[in-house]
Amino acid sequence: MKQFLTIFSFEFKNYLKNKVFVGVTLFLVLAIAVTMFFPSIIGLFDAGEDEPSSDIDIGEQNPDEDMPVILINSGSSEYAELIRTSFAAAFAGYSVVNTDEDIDSVKGKISSGEVECAFVMDSLTSYTYYVNNISIYDSNTLVADEILQNLYVMTAMMESGLSAEQAGDIMSVQIESKTEKLGVDQMQNYFYTYIMIFALYMVILLYGQMVATNVASEKSSRAMEVLVTSAKPNSMMFGKVMASCLAGLLQLVAIFGTSVICFNLNKSYWGDNMIINSIFNMPPVLLAYMLLFFLLGFLLYAFMYGAVGSMASKLEDINTSSMPITLIFIAGFVVVMIGFASGSVDSILMKVCSFIPFTSPMAMFTRIAMSTVPWYEILISIALLAAGVVGVGVVSAKIYRVGVLLYGTPPKLGAIIKAVWKS
Amino acid sequence: MLLELRDINKSFGEKKVLEGVSFCAEGGKAFGLLGRNGAGKTTAIRILMNVFPANGGEVLLDGRPIEYEKVGIGYLPEERGLYPKKIIIDQLVYFAQLKGMTRRDAVKAIDFWLDRLGMTEYRGKRLDTLSKGNQQKIQLITALAHDPKIVILDEPFSGLDPVNAMLLKDVVKEEIGRGKIVLFSSHQMSYIEEFCDSIAIINSGHVVLHGDLRDIKRNYVRDRLIVRTEYPEKIKADFGESCTDAENGALMIRLAGADEKSAVMKRIAENYDIDEIKVFEPSLNDIFVEYAGDAAKEDKA
Repeated sequence: MKQFLTIFSFEFKNYLKNKVFVGVTLFLVLAIAVTMFFPSIIGLFDAGEDEPSSDIDIGEQNPDEDMPVILINSGSSEYAELIRTSFAAAFAGYSVVNTDEDIDSVKGKISSGEVECAFVMDSLTSYTYYVNNISIYDSNTLVADEILQNLYVMTAMMESGLSAEQAGDIMSVQIESKTEKLGVDQMQNYFYTYIMIFALYMVILLYGQMVATNVASEKSSRAMEVLVTSAKPNSMMFGKVMASCLAGLLQLVAIFGTSVICFNLNKSYWGDNMIINSIFNMPPVLLAYMLLFFLLGFLLYAFMYGAVGSMASKLEDINTSSMPITLIFIAGFVVVMIGFASGSVDSILMKVCSFIPFTSPMAMFTRIAMSTVPWYEILISIALLAAGVVGVGVVSAKIYRVGVLLYGTPPKLGAIIKAVWKS
Repeated sequence: MLLELRDINKSFGEKKVLEGVSFCAEGGKAFGLLGRNGAGKTTAIRILMNVFPANGGEVLLDGRPIEYEKVGIGYLPEERGLYPKKIIIDQLVYFAQLKGMTRRDAVKAIDFWLDRLGMTEYRGKRLDTLSKGNQQKIQLITALAHDPKIVILDEPFSGLDPVNAMLLKDVVKEEIGRGKIVLFSSHQMSYIEEFCDSIAIINSGHVVLHGDLRDIKRNYVRDRLIVRTEYPEKIKADFGESCTDAENGALMIRLAGADEKSAVMKRIAENYDIDEIKVFEPSLNDIFVEYAGDAAKEDKA
């Protein structure tokens, strides 16, 4: 135990003395502080100036110089002006202009960039959309479809005898709705879950690699020769892993702590930002789960990385020999991210992943945050993960004991298993 | 204090590295563990230090199984290495603490040793700023700072200049003088002969020779004669195959048995014009080559 503490404090101090570690942490803390203070800093500069008037009349016929232009060629339609105003209302931020130029000159204007896009109508129910590059987010045709559909319905109603007011009332009927959530609100939990999963992913990968590199460099510098005769391999392994775990936790606490403090200092400036507010309104229970899954997941992977590091005799070997672990981890991450992004966090795959120790830290956390998981499932998942940590820890310590004294080509997997089994 | 390895067996996988290895080393004396590369010396040392357990046999101190927590062991490994990027005093204190010292005692002991080895000026420097010889002196401190009862030095003199070698010799002699068990492993036979009272030679996992060095030399079968003469041809012709060239132009005559030596010496002295004749006393080098050389291996096979 004393040895463990000696190694733990030595390794932990190494992190604190590591200029890169301290530098990156400070940089991130500063970056977050600056971001969180940004609105108030901007506020200082803007305080003396008048607010620019933003009440631009979207029905303005004269095209505004700064706004992108949408051309509409309604042919000889009697609804040309109605179409234009409807489009202008729907495409705020654009200046919508009627034209009767021929198609070639419209195309020319679009290609030259003078005009953003154009709708050339054949009738109320048929048009051609001209645009230079279609972005993947281009929803202009959807908007246009809806406008035209409404116009069509309205004209049809008017033609069958209703007045314009009556038709307008029917068209603009408001539906009243109420939502009562019994489980969780995915929308509200989305952003912090996203951040947490990413934090988990990055910390585990980065620190796991650090543990592996650390062990391998002790081997390659032959400091291991003295270490192995001075300390028990278990103390070495656990001391190292725990120290990096604490360092990782400390870094996370520094970064998230800064965010929370800075947010609270600037709360008034962020008052109406839904995303930022939802991030900082994380329920404490979720934070507790986050910590638990972080700790267990971190330990699980750090042990494996430590074992891999002990098998490598040169630093260069680390990347190739840690590949399988990294792949398992990334595969788990991808599954979770896909489930998460699609909102179907309770798919069979996600359920299975949330019980496998290698993927459960991310998968189960996502499910807890984004869905309603029965308490016994959470308990089983945590129990399995904890058992996995202990199991992997024991096996890794055995590999470590054998591995630290091996030099030359890393042994085959079969040989390792054999050696570990025997010991 | 008597350190004893008794009937140690060790195999890695299918490969038997040590088979029935036994030897003992006494306190206040230096012990030389010899063997060719890959003979099993390092494995024996690691078992002795409890880095890994033996498959069979025991390590005893004064007849009882050794208590590693109480008996400090200092080790200077053949593969030298500490943390190259770390401050010297920091890592020395770390290693001493791992061996069970308190921080305060560790700093005190390390400052003593830095001073003793003339390294105080490097106390706050990084290890990789030092020359190889100086790094080795730092490494020696990791082996001695916690005042171990057993000191194991693997090739301690390699890489040291004559002045530093002298300093190390003095330090080793002091440690022996303080009643410690000092175990040498080296291929530099001259140092072993200078320091070690007893030796063990390991060859292919077996102890092929073990005991007091003087006794070994004395008990060495005295069946060879060294003859120095101006006219070697006559003797060569006379003794045929049993006469070979020895060092420095002398001749070596192998006798059929040790009991013949007086008679043969007399005969040679009477019949030939010789400058010198004596019974061949082997150097440690000769003994080593005989017991651990290729010929010895073939004999076993």
